[in-house]
Amino acid sequence: MIPLLRQRLRRDWLQLLLWVLGAVLLAVAGYGGVSQSYGTVADRQEVLAAVMANPVILMFRGLPSGDSAGAFLAFEDLPWLAMLAALMSTFLAVRHTRGDEEAGRSELIAATPASRTLPTLATIVHGLGANLALAALTALSLIGAGMDARGSLLTGAAAGGVGVAFLGIGLVAAQVMRTSRGANSLAVWLLVAAFLLRGIGNMAGTPSDDLTRIDSAWPAWLSPFGWAEQVRPFDADAPWPALLALAVGLALAAAATALQSARDLGAGFVPERRGRAAATAALSSPHALVWRLSRGAILGWAIGGVLTGVLATTLSALAGQVAGENPAVAQVLEKIARAGDLDEAMITVFFTMLGILAACAAVQTVVRARQEEAHGTAEPVLATAVGRVRWFSDYAVVATVAVLLVVGAGMGAAYAGLAADDAADGLYRAVTVAGLGQLAAACVFTAITALVFVVLPRATLAAGWALIGIASILGMFGPLFGMPEWATDISPIAVTPVVAQGEVDLRGLWWLVLAIAVAGAGSIALMRRRELAGDG
Amino acid sequence: MDTVIRTSGLTKRYGRVHALDGLDLSVTAGQVHGFLGPNGAGKTTTIRILLGLARKTGGEASVFGGDPWRDATTLHRRIAYVPGDVSIWPNLSGGEAVDLLTRLRGARTRDPGYRAARERLEAAFQFDPRKKGRAYSKGNRQKVALIAAFAAPADLYVLDEPTSGLDPLMEVVFRDEIARVRDAGATVLLSSHILSEVELLCDRVSIIRAGRIAETGTLAELRHLTRTEVSFEAADAGALDGIPAAHDAAFADGRARFTIDSDAVASVLPLLAARGAAGLRIEPPSLEELFLRHYGDQVKDGRP
Repeated sequence: MIPLLRQRLRRDWLQLLLWVLGAVLLAVAGYGGVSQSYGTVADRQEVLAAVMANPVILMFRGLPSGDSAGAFLAFEDLPWLAMLAALMSTFLAVRHTRGDEEAGRSELIAATPASRTLPTLATIVHGLGANLALAALTALSLIGAGMDARGSLLTGAAAGGVGVAFLGIGLVAAQVMRTSRGANSLAVWLLVAAFLLRGIGNMAGTPSDDLTRIDSAWPAWLSPFGWAEQVRPFDADAPWPALLALAVGLALAAAATALQSARDLGAGFVPERRGRAAATAALSSPHALVWRLSRGAILGWAIGGVLTGVLATTLSALAGQVAGENPAVAQVLEKIARAGDLDEAMITVFFTMLGILAACAAVQTVVRARQEEAHGTAEPVLATAVGRVRWFSDYAVVATVAVLLVVGAGMGAAYAGLAADDAADGLYRAVTVAGLGQLAAACVFTAITALVFVVLPRATLAAGWALIGIASILGMFGPLFGMPEWATDISPIAVTPVVAQGEVDLRGLWWLVLAIAVAGAGSIALMRRRELAGDG
Repeated sequence: MDTVIRTSGLTKRYGRVHALDGLDLSVTAGQVHGFLGPNGAGKTTTIRILLGLARKTGGEASVFGGDPWRDATTLHRRIAYVPGDVSIWPNLSGGEAVDLLTRLRGARTRDPGYRAARERLEAAFQFDPRKKGRAYSKGNRQKVALIAAFAAPADLYVLDEPTSGLDPLMEVVFRDEIARVRDAGATVLLSSHILSEVELLCDRVSIIRAGRIAETGTLAELRHLTRTEVSFEAADAGALDGIPAAHDAAFADGRARFTIDSDAVASVLPLLAARGAAGLRIEPPSLEELFLRHYGDQVKDGRP
């Protein structure tokens, strides 16, 4: 076990370090944002009261647990800290179990006197260690910032507990699915569902009389994220919900170990279907191949787009009802959106998320070109009558189609929501402008990732996802954390055209168009001279 | 005769590594040309340049008279390629991959000739086309590429160690296919480090070593370059005295052995007859020996 763990740490340390640093950064930035923007009790009470009145915000924030600075920090930050821990853990779990099995590395280990379950057991130890590090460093950074020690430790523990729970979920997903791609998708879908469930539970909860706390409804108790919030750090400081998450995670890990010893190496519990003996007539061109390889993922992102679109306008209408009574709600939303009217602001916020989803779909498609190249399946295609530029631009084309589908699905759902609510005509225009603006933003990610693929192929995967991550943090959280405007304006999703107070504000549209044109033309021109860059 | 592939002074550098260092290769139409060399000698790099997957650093390369980098797309309509390490798409079935690759080459898969050829090849290679790509073994992935290459006709077949994952039975099927396309007039460039395969199949052989062609010619011509080994039963080393043309004379385990220039074999036969040599064995040089001669210095250095 020890040599195996040492080898994994060598492979993993940088990635784990980045996840943990991300969590520390989030904690410190959250602390800075709270003390800067919500320094007084009155500020915080105002926001919390606004949240009670407009519970939509609870989808993106934690559980209100009082008006102290610490409890408010947990309200702002804890779901995202837990999300980081959860993502780190599921990817870790799948990478070292199903991922290794797919690559054939587990076979080498299984052939030694080591037990068949050793890789799974090592992954459990590895994941527990990573979550312990994340929890401890998050807690230490909060203590270092001057927060109460018990609350800081419990904040870390709550995030780490969610991490362990998703370590277990990732391990089970890796047993059930036959490929690491499948296991990762299953685990991430469960993660998103758990995150939403917690939000719904909080939205449906009962506010306290002073409008600073909410007692969650039952759906929040079905989600590890919900348990983390029930810790209520800096308020109730209850450790047992974090322990519940830990226990469930360990139970799932034990179940995964049992499943591992019950099956053959390389097999899954979802049986492999037999394929066609011959290709359909449609599968006869390079772009048909790209579509065939990407369509499942793109449809997944488009479903996310539909959900986001529905929320953008139906919740918007709900928010509109309470806006009159609660000017504070509008103030918060304006802060995120830098826009005027509340309904318009809601649309802007949700369409920013839609833009992120579309960018994810597009970047994943461009990254697939790199995966095809590294995996060796690009070579037989390029040895046929398919030119380099044609091969490459088909990925860019399908990525653009993905953007259109995801944004289109979101816009369609948003229009449907408006129609159902008999909304004002102005909002249709807000949806149209926000949607088309995010279309442009998502295409910027496509074009830049494509350029990276041509110039620095080995960096494609990391660069593509890092760009989305950084842009999302700057665009979505920059204003809340009190970042300067120039910093948030770097993010393409934050400078798209919006409708504010009935007026169309183009903001950085021309910059977006320029970026798409330069990166797109540059990548195609350079692709003419680029040779195939194989192996990892 | 037409030259299908010609390179002169071809070089390729990866950073400081000279993968190709002035390679001169010439393959004429209708030939099965063996491209022989150990791993790392530059076989795959040459093939990648000839297919326009990699760009030459210097020198000349032409395929069917065209530039393999600039005219890749048009040239590839006439070329079928089997890579050494075949990867296929994990979520496509083998049959889908075969059809897709054939269509991308510009051939029609509705054509009854193609359908019949595919069926025949699947039967001969004992290949199940309905399995998903990820379920195939190395040998089966290789069959996908081979079936895709042979199911539709091509003018040039570029095969990079195509049998490395096949069992001996399937190698026979592969040899039959090579014979079939040669009879149909196609040209074949067959890279290999398996000598028996090249000996069985090839009209001409080019031996590559450290990015250069070390030797090229028909098998007969290359045999001429090496010596025939003669051995017979003897009581002691004295049996070797008085054979003027003998090289490397040695006595071991009750057998005397020596090597001799191949055109001098007839001249020693009377001497052997005079000694009443029993258990006489006269063996023409195998490609193994050709190989050792070209890489012999490396073997002596103790390197692979």
